[in-house]
Amino acid sequence: MNKTMVEARDQLAGASTESGRGGLEAPGSRGFWAEAWIRFRRRRLAMIALWYVVILAIVGVLSPAIVGTRPIVCKYKGRIYFPALAYYNRRWEPAIFFRDKFRQRYPENLKKRDPTSWAIWPLVYQDPYRRVGENEWPGQPGNPTGAQGRPNRYNLMGTTQEGIDVFAQMVHGARTALLVGFVSTGVAAAIGIFIGALAGYFGGWIDIVLSRLIELVMCVPTLVLILALLAIIDKPTIWHVMLVIGVTGWTGIARLTRGEFIRLKNTEFVLAARALGAGGLRIIFRHILPNALAPVLVPISFGVASAILIESGLSFLGFGPPPPHPSWGTLLNAGRTNLQMWWLILFPGSAIFLTVLAYNLIGEAIQEATDPRLREAGK
Amino acid sequence: MELRGFSALLPCSFLHKALILVGVSLLAVCFFVLGCGGPASEDLGTAEPFEESSPIAGQGGASLQVRSVEAEGGSGPTSSPGSSGVPVQESGGGGSRPASAKPSEKFVLGDLIQPFTPPTWEELQKVEWIDQPVLDSLQLLRERQANEQPLATVEEALRLMNNSPEANAKILSALGRLPASDDEVEWEATIYRHTAADVKSTNPLMIDSTIEFDVIGLTGFGLFSFDWNFRPFASKDAVVSWQTSKDRMMDKIVMRRDLVWSDGRPITAHDVVFSFKVIMSDKVPIPAMRSGTEQIRWVEAYDDYTLVFFHKAPLATNVWNINFGIIPKHIYEKSIYEDPTLQDSEYHRRYEESPVCGGPYKLVSRSRNREIVLERREEYYMFQGKQVRDKPFFRQIRFKVLPDPTVSLMALKRGDIEEMILTAEQWVTQTNDADFYRLNTKVYATEWTYFYFCWNTQTPFFRDRRVRQAMAYAFDYREMFDKILYGLAEPCNGIFHPTSPWAPKPPLPFFQQDLDKAEALLEEAGWTDSDGDGILDKVVDGKRVRFEFSMLTSNVPVRIAIANLMRQCLERIGIICHVRPLEFTVLQERTRSGDFEAFHGGWGTGADPDTAENIWKTGEMRNFGRYSNPEVDHLFELGKREFDLARRAKIYQQIHRILYEDQPYTWLYFRPAMYAFNKKLRGYTFSPRGPYHFGPGFGAIYKTRLLP
Repeated sequence: MNKTMVEARDQLAGASTESGRGGLEAPGSRGFWAEAWIRFRRRRLAMIALWYVVILAIVGVLSPAIVGTRPIVCKYKGRIYFPALAYYNRRWEPAIFFRDKFRQRYPENLKKRDPTSWAIWPLVYQDPYRRVGENEWPGQPGNPTGAQGRPNRYNLMGTTQEGIDVFAQMVHGARTALLVGFVSTGVAAAIGIFIGALAGYFGGWIDIVLSRLIELVMCVPTLVLILALLAIIDKPTIWHVMLVIGVTGWTGIARLTRGEFIRLKNTEFVLAARALGAGGLRIIFRHILPNALAPVLVPISFGVASAILIESGLSFLGFGPPPPHPSWGTLLNAGRTNLQMWWLILFPGSAIFLTVLAYNLIGEAIQEATDPRLREAGK
Repeated sequence: MELRGFSALLPCSFLHKALILVGVSLLAVCFFVLGCGGPASEDLGTAEPFEESSPIAGQGGASLQVRSVEAEGGSGPTSSPGSSGVPVQESGGGGSRPASAKPSEKFVLGDLIQPFTPPTWEELQKVEWIDQPVLDSLQLLRERQANEQPLATVEEALRLMNNSPEANAKILSALGRLPASDDEVEWEATIYRHTAADVKSTNPLMIDSTIEFDVIGLTGFGLFSFDWNFRPFASKDAVVSWQTSKDRMMDKIVMRRDLVWSDGRPITAHDVVFSFKVIMSDKVPIPAMRSGTEQIRWVEAYDDYTLVFFHKAPLATNVWNINFGIIPKHIYEKSIYEDPTLQDSEYHRRYEESPVCGGPYKLVSRSRNREIVLERREEYYMFQGKQVRDKPFFRQIRFKVLPDPTVSLMALKRGDIEEMILTAEQWVTQTNDADFYRLNTKVYATEWTYFYFCWNTQTPFFRDRRVRQAMAYAFDYREMFDKILYGLAEPCNGIFHPTSPWAPKPPLPFFQQDLDKAEALLEEAGWTDSDGDGILDKVVDGKRVRFEFSMLTSNVPVRIAIANLMRQCLERIGIICHVRPLEFTVLQERTRSGDFEAFHGGWGTGADPDTAENIWKTGEMRNFGRYSNPEVDHLFELGKREFDLARRAKIYQQIHRILYEDQPYTWLYFRPAMYAFNKKLRGYTFSPRGPYHFGPGFGAIYKTRLLP
């Protein structure tokens, strides 16, 4: 499936507008990505998975608006504030609330200190970091602890041993899962594609050195390396975890990219580009890479799944993001010790399972949609 | 090396093992509970055994006492820093053994002892002696119980669910009694005990954690014991008389003549002298510190059964120092020159597998990491055809090694083991059903093991006493007791338990959460939010410092939950606290080197208040927070030299008060001892160190033949 530069450009164009035009155009003029999208859409499971991931992303991004103990928007002493932003970054919490000694209890203090204030609250008044006490929200009982924390109308998915709401942690944990999935796979993809491209394009001793490096990294048991790296870091944060997962997870991507580059570097369109005077980097990134991307997307998609799984695994082992960062794996770990509290296993367990499954389905569908041989075999 | 205080850290982590660092003979001391908790605290998952080290009294009260403390839990190794010391290693699963001497260097027995010429026997006759108590701990317990009316009958107690303090008191008083007559005891019984890990050695000098202590306390020979009030005495099972010289510089012991090792050779004063010299030999890898025995100048055997201990100084703590592990001289006197490790040569390995024991039980078989089997020694209680001591209550004791608390609880419910420490979680949620009560019952009791936040007084944050007091006001104690500890723990406001004679009377008030007061104290100390970012700051040494610090804790759920609660409380008043759960060994390393701002840990108790000295005196190794107060230092010196109990107690009460004011720790809670026992077992009683590590301890437990 040699392609010309023109085709390659088409593909790029198709990629940028894929969803818009998809099936409306005549078959002959469809680009590679549009073609792939159509085939992707034919797979029902993959589409469900895609929707699931999109919804999860929305939930993750909007988590402070869904569950939280800080108003999304409020008017206090004549000004508008967005205290819920503090869930993204603690420093975004408006200082006035600290000065006025709110002490993180908004409902009662807003009314008490400014009777004219108003606020728009998250859908559920619960907190992923702490137990909500009695009457913090008018009429809402304090969260139950221990085995009493089974799902009820205030705690949709129950509470943990210490009385922290599971639903709140699930929703805020989705942000963690999303972030971990994308950031660490992004890091892995950047490293993997770069190294794979260099090795594949230049060949020779560069290839030998980089291939050995890839093999070297592959030989290291990832989990052990991650544990070792986290032990060295003085104050590990979620970003370190993501970075470490990314830095150890790029080998598959690098190998595939290298293979694609070796295959493509001798094709006519590369030759043409070289003849026109294009430099090495330009050929790699402008000409070969777009054509090599389709097969690489597959391990990236699987990579997201495995990053989420690794993060959950680390948290399950107690080496995940430091407390109080909500994480599905941490919830599972809490449930491990007391099987009576089934809700600590069921909800995060299913969430991890479904998310990993969704990314795998998407990866598989991309693979089949973009690989003509599989496409033929599938028919 | 030191012998004297040992502490261990208790990690609680995965295994629980404690480590004891014991000195070989020391008595009990405090242990550092860093991590995990023992019985009570635990979260699931980790159970920790409790570890203490203490003396145990074997049947009949002979005991070995260990002075150190231990650690729990985990995997950890412990070390005990003591005052002088060399850390001890190891514990947990695979610890490392202290390095042994190189074969090329010549072994010198007792090379750490300064030369000393003991007085002649004639000279000793002129000394004025004061008689000291020689008691039988089982008899002591019998006398105590004679004055106590059981609150319930045995049948009622067996039917009770332990869900209230009243039920607990009834079960303890009905089932904790000694047998009214010999007919009640199933003399041929086997007890299946739980241990969280295998012993690392069966040699009494090599005791390293409570794991070893539990076993060696039953097989080892000792001259001394102490009761549930930590009153020391010589054990009647081993000693005829005990006298102290009027100047407190000598202790004279006359041993009984009917004592024999399990190979039939008599136990004599020479064994004690030999053991002392072995402990004080540089090349023998004694895991615990030598600080207790180091305080002894010399031990002399004037004949086969008369011993005199010579002290370096007249201290109230000498009575604990003269209590150390004793090994048979005839087994080791030649071989130690070839192999000072006492465990590496083929000859020593043979005795490691089947040691010559002097206690009520002997070790008959051991399959590593699975089971340790002890059997009653006929020659312990029978001598020349006559019964000379109490007959140990069990024919056989089988220790089952089960590291995981969840697995242990299942084994207990099936009846495969007959006693275990319950975690708080298990107590509250997994032991209330008929499945548990079918074969077992459970009891709890106060234990003087406290948990705290330690503030590093060398950091800019906690240098100021007002800041440390603010921390005490910031914490939400109610939430911790009600929600995290299930209402099972007792409040704590200082280093001594309120019921202990060393705690101030009347008791000092407990701290309650008061954020206004905390904020006021912080402001007074100069911490305000000057840049409007919602976080307190202060100019320290010309630089603006934000109040942001890390709180270290071991990787155990309860500990993390409590540290997290502190984080939430501090966040409300503008202080950022990062909770950092660490693996136990890492935590231990960092606390020891002072590389922390704050950490959450725990300490067990020693039998003597002086054992707290190396936590609070300036420059001591267990003084992790680098706390320093000359008055406290001075009071500890005074306490050691004061023999009048009431005056001595006053000194320690004063220390307690000063520490309460200075708040180098924020004290949190005392963890209770929580145990499950098979319904056939009787006679369990508790000391502030749990049900085993005192006299009579395990020696009072028996299996009944009267089953309803």
